[in-house]
Amino acid sequence: MLAYLLKRVGFILISLVVTSIIIFSLLEVMPGDVAKVMLGQHATEEAVKSLREEMGLNKPVHLRYLSWLNQILHGDLGESMYMEGVKIGPLVARRAFNSALLALACLVIFVPLSLIFGAIGGVTEGTWISSFISISGLFALSIPSFVSGIFLIFIFSLVFPILPASSNIPPGTTIFQNLERVILPAISVSLIMFGYVARMTQSSMGSVLRSDYIRTARLKGIPGNYVIYKHALKNALLPAITVVGMNIGWLFGGLIVVESLFGYPGIGYLLVLALRSRDIPLVEVIMLSIVSVYLVANFLTDLSYSLLDPRVDIKG
Amino acid sequence: MISKKTRKQISTYFRDRFSRKFFLKLRRTPTGIFGLFLVLLWVTMSIFGPFIAPYSPTKMNMAQAYSSPSSNHLLGTDRYGRDMLSRVIIGSRSILTTALGISIISVFIGIVIGFTAGYFGGIVDEVIMRLMDILMSIPSLLLAMVMLGIIVSPGVLSVMIIISIVYSPRTARVARSALLEYKSEEFVDAARIRGESFFHIVFVEIFPNTVAPLIVEGSARFAYSIMTVASLGFLGVGLRPPTPDWGLMVAENKGSIFLAPWTVIFPALAIASLVIGASLFAEFLDKYLRRV
Repeated sequence: MLAYLLKRVGFILISLVVTSIIIFSLLEVMPGDVAKVMLGQHATEEAVKSLREEMGLNKPVHLRYLSWLNQILHGDLGESMYMEGVKIGPLVARRAFNSALLALACLVIFVPLSLIFGAIGGVTEGTWISSFISISGLFALSIPSFVSGIFLIFIFSLVFPILPASSNIPPGTTIFQNLERVILPAISVSLIMFGYVARMTQSSMGSVLRSDYIRTARLKGIPGNYVIYKHALKNALLPAITVVGMNIGWLFGGLIVVESLFGYPGIGYLLVLALRSRDIPLVEVIMLSIVSVYLVANFLTDLSYSLLDPRVDIKG
Repeated sequence: MISKKTRKQISTYFRDRFSRKFFLKLRRTPTGIFGLFLVLLWVTMSIFGPFIAPYSPTKMNMAQAYSSPSSNHLLGTDRYGRDMLSRVIIGSRSILTTALGISIISVFIGIVIGFTAGYFGGIVDEVIMRLMDILMSIPSLLLAMVMLGIIVSPGVLSVMIIISIVYSPRTARVARSALLEYKSEEFVDAARIRGESFFHIVFVEIFPNTVAPLIVEGSARFAYSIMTVASLGFLGVGLRPPTPDWGLMVAENKGSIFLAPWTVIFPALAIASLVIGASLFAEFLDKYLRRV
C-alpha cells in the first residue's frame, strides 16, 4: 500500500514537472514579444530592449524556466502582465472557487442523477424505457457543451424567459446572491458527464443482472427489488466511478467553453481571456493548477476504486 | 512498405466484414441507419455544397442584415446580411475534412508509437507509455488550445495536425494493446525464427489482425474530433473569420441570440446533428466489428 502510494505521488510530481516544461516551452514559441505587448505598438526599440533586460527576457530559456520554477515553489505566483498590478495567486483562487461551484454541481447533483437513470435503464433492459435512456445518454454525451448551452439559452431565456442567459456577476455582489445565474452553466457543463455515467451504469447494471450470482439469488427466492438493491447495485456502480474519473478531463474542457459562452467568472473563461491577451504568466499558472487538480482527481478515483472493490489489490 | 500479401489480407478482411452481412445488420439497427444517414447528408452537402448553396457564404449585403427566415433566405441572414443557409452548408466542408483527417492521422501516429512500444517492450515500452500518460494529464481541449495559440493564423491543416498529436496518446494505447494480443501468437514466433524484419513482422503478420479495433478507434476519434474542432472554433482559436466554420459562427453570433436567434440556432443544430450521427454510427460499427 505504502509503496503504491509513493509510486503514484512520484508519478504526479514527475508529471507536473514535465507538463510545466511542456507548457513553458509552448508559450515560449508563441508569437508576439512580451515586452512589445506591454509597451504597446509605438514603443521605441530602446525601451523594448531595456524592458526585456529588466524582465530577464534576454537570458537563456532554461535559466528563465528555473527561476520561474523557483519563484512558484516559493509561493510567489507573480503578477498578471496584462492587468497591471493584479496578483495572480488571489485572482486564480477566486476564479477557481467559482469554477469549483460548477464542477461541484455536476458531481453532487448530476452524477447521482445519472446513476439513478442508468440503473433504471439497466433494470428495464429490453423495454422502450431502456432504449430511451440509452439514446438520450448518447445525445447528452456527444453534443458539445457550448451547443447544449445555446439550446438551453434558447429554451429557458428566449422561449420561456425564466433564467438569465448571461452569468456576469454584477459588481459588488457575490455569486451566492446570483445563484439563478449558475443554473444554466451548471446544466450544460454536466450533460456530457451525465451521458457517459448513465450509459456506463446502464450497461454494467445490465451485465450484472445477467450474471450467475444474481440468478442464484433469484432462484433462492429473494424478492426482485431486494436482489437489485442489495446484490446488483453495488457491483454495477463500480465501473461508473472509473468513468467519473476518466471524464474529469472532459469536465475541464466543458468548463472552458461553457464559461466563455455564459461569461461565467471562472478559471476556464479566465484562461481564454489570458490566452487571447497573451498574458503568459497567468496562462502558465492556470494550466498548471488545472493539470494538478486533474492528476489528483485521477489518483483519488483509482484509490476509491480499490477501496470499494476488495478484489483490486494495490501493490507497488 | 505494405506488401501484396498484406494488401490481399486486408482486402479479404473487408470483403468478409463489409459484405451483405454488414448491410443486413445495419438494416436491423435503426440507430445505425439514422447515424449513417446524418453523416452522409453532411458529406453530400460538403461535396456538392457550391451547387446547393443559394448564395456565396461570405458575400455581405448590409441592406439584408438580420433578415428573419423567409423564402429568399430560408435560414435568415446574419449581421452582415450573409445567407445563413449557404454558410451552414459550406461550413460542413472544413469540419468534415478536419475530422476525417484527424481520425486518420491520429490512428496512424498511434500505430507508429503504440506498435513500437508494444513490440520492443521492456524499458522502451515503459518510457514511451509513461510519456504518453504525462501527455494525457493535460486535458485535451486545453492542450489543443495552447498549441493552436502558437500558430498565427491556423488553417485546416494545422488544426488537423495539432488535434491528432493531442489524441495520439489515446490511439497509441489502443494500437499497443491490439498488438500485444497477437505478439505471442505462434505465427509471429514463426516469422521471428524465419528471421523476418521488424517491419515485416509488425505490418505483414500482426497489422492485418488489428484492423478491427483500429477502425473502431478511428470512428470514435471522428466523432470526438467533430466535438473538439467545433469547440476550438467556438473559442476563437481555430479557423479565422470570415471562414464559414460552425463553431466560429456560434461564437460570432451568440451576442445576437435575442435579436436574431436563427444566426445561432442553425449552426448549433448543424453541429449537434453531425456529432449525433457520427456517434450513432461509430457505436454501430463498434458493436458490429466486435461481434464478427
